[in-house]
Parts: sequence; C-alpha cells; structure tokens
Amino acid sequence: MNFDWSVVWRNADALLEGVELTVLLAITTMAISIPGGIVFALMRLSNVRVLSAASAAFVELFRNLPLILVVYTAYYVMPVATGLNLSPLTTGIVALSLNVSAYNGETFRAGIASIREGQTEAAYALGMGRWQTMKEIVLPQAIRRVLPVLASTWVSLFKDTSLVSVISVGELAYTSMRIRAQTFRVLEMLTAMAAIYWLLGYPQAKLVDWINRRYGVKE
Amino acid sequence: MNAAAQAPVNADRAADGVPTLTYRNVVKRFDSLTVLNGVSMEVRHKEVVCLIGPSGSGKSTLLRCTNGLELIDEGEVVFDGKPLPRDWNGMRRMRRRMGMVFQNFELFPHKTALGNIAIGPMSVLGTSRERAETHARALLEKVGLADKSASYPFQLSGGQQQRVAIARALAMEPEVMLFDEPTSALDPETIGEVLNVMKQLAEEGMTMVVVTHEMSFAHRVADWIVVMDRGAIIEQGPPRQIFQAPTVERTRSFLSHLGWSG
Amino acid sequence: MDLDFTPVLDSGWFLLGGLGLTLALSVLTIACSLLLGGALGLARCYGPGWLRWPIVFYIDSMRAVPVLVVLVWTYFALPIVTGVVLPPFWAALVALSAHISAYVAEIVRAGVTSIRPGQTRAAFALGMSRWRTIRSIVLPQAIVRMLPAFGSILSFTIKDTAIAAVIAVPEYMNRSQTVAGQSFHPIEVFAVAMAVYFLILFPVTRVVDMVYVRLAHLGRS
Repeated sequence: MNFDWSVVWRNADALLEGVELTVLLAITTMAISIPGGIVFALMRLSNVRVLSAASAAFVELFRNLPLILVVYTAYYVMPVATGLNLSPLTTGIVALSLNVSAYNGETFRAGIASIREGQTEAAYALGMGRWQTMKEIVLPQAIRRVLPVLASTWVSLFKDTSLVSVISVGELAYTSMRIRAQTFRVLEMLTAMAAIYWLLGYPQAKLVDWINRRYGVKE
Repeated sequence: MNAAAQAPVNADRAADGVPTLTYRNVVKRFDSLTVLNGVSMEVRHKEVVCLIGPSGSGKSTLLRCTNGLELIDEGEVVFDGKPLPRDWNGMRRMRRRMGMVFQNFELFPHKTALGNIAIGPMSVLGTSRERAETHARALLEKVGLADKSASYPFQLSGGQQQRVAIARALAMEPEVMLFDEPTSALDPETIGEVLNVMKQLAEEGMTMVVVTHEMSFAHRVADWIVVMDRGAIIEQGPPRQIFQAPTVERTRSFLSHLGWSG
Repeated sequence: MDLDFTPVLDSGWFLLGGLGLTLALSVLTIACSLLLGGALGLARCYGPGWLRWPIVFYIDSMRAVPVLVVLVWTYFALPIVTGVVLPPFWAALVALSAHISAYVAEIVRAGVTSIRPGQTRAAFALGMSRWRTIRSIVLPQAIVRMLPAFGSILSFTIKDTAIAAVIAVPEYMNRSQTVAGQSFHPIEVFAVAMAVYFLILFPVTRVVDMVYVRLAHLGRS
C-alpha cells in the first residue's frame, strides 16, 4: 500500500478555490439570513395574525427538515417554480438561506422578547412610537444579546456548506472528492479534506467559545 | 446658562391655573380582576400629590393609566381640560407632555447618561443633536451628576441611575411628572439623593403625582395625599390630616403597619 | 405544474423500508452517543487531569468538521487505514456516533458544572462519598437541566442520518433519491420526503419540551 501525499500539494490551487467558494457561500448566506431572521422575528412578534402565523410556520418548517433534503428539493423545485435555469451555486445559496433564516428568526425572536418590557415602556413614556422604540431601543440591545448564538449559527453554517456539494457546487467538499475520483488517492484526499476543514473550523469554534464567555447574558 | 438651554424644547405647553389632571370614575380591569373601581380625584397645577396605600391597591395602575401605558375601561381622565384619547396612537402625543420615572429606572443600557437624556428630544421632538445634548448637560448638572455624562448605566449606582432617569423625563419639558415608586428599588443610603431632587422639583413648581412608600417625604413635600386600597380611594386630604388624624380605620392600620407614629 | 404522486405510492414499501432504517440508525446512534458522550463528559469533569486535554481536543475537533466529511472519511478512508471494511450502515453508525458524542459530552459538562458547588459541599458534609454525591445529587439535577439540549441532539441525529444517504446507506433520503431518479417525478417524491421528516421531527422537540416542563422543578437548586 503506497501513499502519495503530494497529490494534495499538486492540487492545492483547486483546493484553495474550493475553500474560497465555501467561505463565499457562508458569507453570502449569512448576509441574507441576518436581515432575513430579523424580518421573520418581527413578523412573529407583530400584532397582525397572518404575519405572525406565516412566520411561525416558516420557522417551524425549516427547523424540522434535514438541510440535505432542502438542498435536493430546491434543486428540483426551483427550475419548475421560477421558470429560470438557476446555477447550482444560486440554488445552494437559496437552500442555505432558507434554513439559516429560519434559525435566525427564532434566535432574534427570543432575543427581542428577552428585552425587559420596562425598556419599551420607558421609551413609550418619552413619547416614542412603536417602530422608533424597536429601532432605537429594542433591536440594538437584542443584537448584542443574540451575538453568541449567531456566532454558533455561523460555525454550523460553515460546516453545512459541505452539503451543497451533493448538487455539484464546487466548494471544498466537492472539489476534494472530485480530485479523489480523478486521482484515486482516496485516503490522501479525504484526509486532506478533513484536515482543511479542521484548520478552518477549529479556530472558529474556539472563537465562539470566547464570544460566549465575553458576551453571555449577564443580567 | 445660555439661551439655547433656556428656551423650551417642547412647544406644547398648557396655560396656568387649570387643574392639570382630573380622574372621573376611572375603571380598569385585567381579565376578571377589577384593579381600579371608580377612582375620582384631581391634581392641580403645581401640586404634589402622593398616592399611598397597601400593595395591590391600584396606585401604580392609576399612574400608568394616566400616560396611557394602560388604557382605561370606563370613566375618563381629563388632562389640560381635554379627555385623554382612548387609542394608543392618540396617547402618543399626550405622553410627550408627561414625564414618567420608573421603579427600576429603566435607563437604556446601550446609551450613556447623556445619550439617555438626549434621545427623547432627538427622536420624538426632532431636536438637533447639539441642542439636545446642551440641554441634557444642563439637566445633568441640575440633578448633581454633571461629571457622569459619559458614563453608562452599569457604571452608576442605583441612586445615580434614578437621577439620570429623572433628568431624562425632564428633558421632554413635561407639564406633569409621574413617579412610580421611585425609591423602592434603592439602597437606603441612596434614597435621600433621589428624594432631594424630587423635593427640588416640587419647590420649582412642577406638577407631580408620586406613588411612594416614603412617608416622611410625603408628609414634608406633598400638598395632597390620596390613600388607596383595593382599587378605590378610601381617604384623601392634606398631609397634616392624613398622617396625624386619619378619619378612616383602614388608613390608620396601614400607617401603623409602616411604623408611622405621626 | 401537474403533480403525480402515484410513483411515490407505488414505491411505498420501498420507501417505508428506508424510513425504518432511518429510525433504526437514529436510535442506535443516540444510544451510542449518549454512552460515549456521557462517558467523555464525566471523564472530563471528574477524571484524571491528563485525560482532559485529549478529550477536549476530540470534542473541539468534532465540532470543527462537517458531518459529511466524517461520514465519507469513515466509509472510504478508514478501511484503508485499518483494513476493516464497514458496510454503509455500520460506517454511518460509527461516524455519526463519533460526531454526536462530542456534542453530548459538551452538554454533560455544561449540565454538571451548572450545579452549584454548595450542593456538593452539602453532600460531603453529610458524609457522602464522591461517587455517591455524583450519582445521587449532581447527576439527577444535571440530567433534568440537560433535557432541552438532549432534545435538540435527538433532532440533529435524525436530520444527520439523511446525510448518510451520500455513503449509500439505504435510509429514507437515499431511497427517495432512487425513486426520484427512476420515476422522473422528483418534486412529488421530495415533497413527500419533506412531509415525512417534518412529521417525525416536529413531535420530537415538542415531546422533549413537554417532558422538560414537567420535570423542570426537579432540576432547580
């Protein structure tokens, strides 16, 4: 049994591109899903019953589905539903965003609800309106509250980007496995893939721990 | 003080001489519980009225009905000659003319003392940042905290936070100040500094409605005492009468439970 | 878009078999993860100092790497290293258990350390041994506190079994793909799959929440 670890260095460029796409997927998804989560949270907390119910249904649905299934379904449903021929990358971002927005929706809802009622009352007592109070008083505090949870969600998202490899999006997992198929160097490529994810993910996990220690709720 | 700080920031001021607040048969229910059972009383211009009574008597609820944090079910509250609107949005305009100080201070933790005081005028009245902050600094000086303008609430003691809260309410130049047990959450050492600010406000002629358990403050500063029990007013009168010669037995037993011996 | 669900119904038994495997894999994974994770968590809290570092390293590594990667490596690369070839189901069980036990270990650690030191001091003052204290005082309270987190572990495990489809474990996700490919009606097949998973996962978290609410007072000290 011979191992040829040089296959990793020889394909370093391709692997690096895979990493770049992984990072791009994660950043794009989070950029969509933070506002998305806030929207769903505000809908859930609104007095309009339809909005509240719609948001609750959406959040419950996507929190109770395996992400890989959402990815596959998006891949098949979206061309039919939208009539457009979307790239796997776009489809992947859509699936990831739906999933993470649902989680963030619940995160923000809990964060906003955790702000003491007295705060909104104090704002109203000054004459502030509902939206003003939300914008100036509640949301700024809620965002600080949810920071640790968002950090954890980010780390999970970073790992979940690997799932869009099943619809041929060229991120790290797909690229590694493609090279494995081409070179037949199974152990080397799979171990390299694991090692690269580890190198990227380990510091992120430690950072999340630090954020939890620093910004955990102290009341 | 320069002219900018002296000029009123709030332009809706009432004329002198009219009873500021009149409550007529105010009824408030929470589900099946009747918390206010036909309360009628008057708060006159520049008067200090103290609401006293056992817990659950409805004092805080009456206060919160005054500025619309709770909407009343029956009766009416007349402010400056006009009944208060029954809807939330109508009340919003009214709230600018009343200041409220809460038991738990409720300062905004993500803003400095200066920021807390300035935010009312800036976001509600559209005052410019410069003018609002100048006014805020003057108010901080008035409550004795001129050097704390850049401090955050968590850096301040309870008494200091409450004084900032009073300044925050004053920034809107209200016509009446509502105090909901302002010293109940304070350590004994800091109660005095807050009561002194309130006394000073009273001497300057602010109309005040104060829910409190601080009987010596009520005795010395109030113009009128209202005693409430179980959603109704059982007695009202000048401090001398209430504290030295209460006519209702319930008042007597309440005061003696507080260790008040007149 | 006209939908035709008959291919799904025609393959009903086939899909049901896959569902059975999903549930079997989930249950076995949970059992193994609880055992391994519980042992790791307790060893980290109460074990000898030299054990702490390797356990923490293991836990943090599993948190850093995606489930897909662990699954794929266990199925394709592990045989090369160890010479032992695991059939897909067992490879998935090993991989998922290894991954999820790290999260269980973290939950156990958080639960145990949340019990006030006063509790253990009181137990020692009564003359209880260390082990006795852990077993009768700390763990019962800690386990109640850990329930909501365990509920989400349950949920994650069931969702992660769907990823095992990638290494040819014939569970529900995998079989749905087969039916979708053969019938050319992927939308109907995956719609049913979504309904099936939702109907399994939704009650799971609800039941755990209910159990927690009933037992919460036992965990307060």
